[in-house]
Amino acid sequence: MNNECFDIGTIQAFLDGELAADLIEKVSGHVASCDECAIFLAEAEEESAIAFSALEQEFNTFVPTRRLWTKINDSIQKEEKSFWQTVEAFFSTQATVAFASLLIVCGVFTWLLILDGEKKADDLAEIFQKSESLTVPNIDSIVPETTFEQISTTAPNIKKTIDKKPAVSANNKTVDRGIKTSLVKKENLVPRNAVPLKAKSENVALMTSETVPGEDTYIRTIATLEKTVDSRKDEVLKSSARFVFERDLAVSDDAIKKMKVEIRRNPKDETAKQILRASYQNKIDLLNSVADKTELMASLR
Amino acid sequence: MILFSLTILFSVGNASAQTVKVSLSENKAPSEKSILVDAKVYISMCVSEGKVKINGWERNEIRAFVSGGNSVNFEVRKKNEQTRNPLWVEVVGFEAGNNKNVGAGECLFGEEIELDVPLNATIDIKGNASETNVNAVSKARVKFQNGDIFFNNVAQGIEATTFEGDVTVENSSGAMNLTTTTGNIVAFNVNPKEIGDIFKSRTTSGAITLQQLEFGQTEANSSSGSIRFTGAIQNGGQYIFGTLNGAITLSIPQSSSGKLNASYGFGAFNSELPLKNVVKPNTSKTQSLTALLGTSGDATLNLETFSGAIRIKKQ
Repeated sequence: MNNECFDIGTIQAFLDGELAADLIEKVSGHVASCDECAIFLAEAEEESAIAFSALEQEFNTFVPTRRLWTKINDSIQKEEKSFWQTVEAFFSTQATVAFASLLIVCGVFTWLLILDGEKKADDLAEIFQKSESLTVPNIDSIVPETTFEQISTTAPNIKKTIDKKPAVSANNKTVDRGIKTSLVKKENLVPRNAVPLKAKSENVALMTSETVPGEDTYIRTIATLEKTVDSRKDEVLKSSARFVFERDLAVSDDAIKKMKVEIRRNPKDETAKQILRASYQNKIDLLNSVADKTELMASLR
Repeated sequence: MILFSLTILFSVGNASAQTVKVSLSENKAPSEKSILVDAKVYISMCVSEGKVKINGWERNEIRAFVSGGNSVNFEVRKKNEQTRNPLWVEVVGFEAGNNKNVGAGECLFGEEIELDVPLNATIDIKGNASETNVNAVSKARVKFQNGDIFFNNVAQGIEATTFEGDVTVENSSGAMNLTTTTGNIVAFNVNPKEIGDIFKSRTTSGAITLQQLEFGQTEANSSSGSIRFTGAIQNGGQYIFGTLNGAITLSIPQSSSGKLNASYGFGAFNSELPLKNVVKPNTSKTQSLTALLGTSGDATLNLETFSGAIRIKKQ
């Protein structure tokens, strides 16, 4: 200890945070260089800790301060104010108004995103409906069988008749549109909301029950290709080529539908499985040809 | 204001494009050019309109001739490091007036576009032509939006695609891959160049006619068209023919032999040649059979139709 050492009062005041800023600096500077004072400070700190732990209960006892009283009084006043007065008071500052506007904008975006998500889900369900021939026992009575000759000669008429057909039957089961799906434009379909959620989940469930191994892959590929081709086929294909394309697509869909019916009747029907696979491949090749043509046209521009 | 500016910009652009087109189409003077090249030159070209004729000759030189269209030029993409002769040449069109290339596409157009190329040349053409004739080259790769394509005397393989038109191949060899969307495919006297070369043909609504093919593997597919094969069945050959609604007709010698797998769904089957060990599954409504054709089963014939007929005829 030397002459520069501080007395116990100053040390205690230092610990209690009651010293002036310049004095705090002096004390901390001195303690850092003087071992004896450091020990002294540590002892004082230890004593303070003991004293504080003993008096802890006393310190923690709830004694309302002036600030607390003010808060209580404010709350009572708020209770007495009307709802609109509160709202007015809330929006009285510019920062609050700006924050509220931001919240509204965020809310609108979130709502739009949710809407978009629902739309995508509906699109997926629609793709499932298109690509998966969902059969009901009395399917033949709902969708009359159409031969190739009938398709090729009466394709425009078919479209008219299909447009009137409901996509959902009375018992909430989605019926097979079979060969006609490709001929029907999206806007002519029954509104998406008309497909009940139960039916959608049934579609998804049926998607997973494959009639041939790897069918899911075919369906996914076709769905992807259809998405690409549907948006561009009008500009890529001339009317005559478009007719041929739609007819061939209908032929493929017809073959797929009929073979699936056969496989469901007789799951061991290897011939039907073979033709089903060929029909899927055929449809993929057909869609690919349009995609290829689109690619070629784009490369020439 | 922005919309107004954009409209003006678009109109100006459109007008200038039309001006270029008019000036090009007005240039009716034939254009001709030639270049010395390597014997195994690779020639690429884009055609936007016209009748294309490519002919192989014995000179190591490319001669290009365009009538009623734009002028022709050559762009050398690669040279032979030893001889310094062009190894890859791109045939491009350009505007005759200012000797500048036409644009990004650099496609040739004209009433007639003719190329004389070395016999060992490989050609690669894409675009849009009313008709294309390729004669006596080594290898050909053609991809057109529409128009018929004829190949004759192509030595080492063909890859041809046209979306609206017929593809005809005669007296050629090498691996073949022929595709058309709405047209027919005809192949006559076509052989493999090497073991393992495959013949593939595919059309969606056209017919496929194959005559005198000697490939180890022959594939033909059509959605609604028919498939007709005439010729000998190769020993150990694989034949895969499939159509959804069309008929499959094989006209083969009586001595033909092989294993036959025929799936004809709701269609019909008929054979003028005797079949042995015929097995038909009775349990299913869809029809199919497996059988032995002739004395041995070296070759395999997989014939598949959904509702068409399969016919095997004596040649």
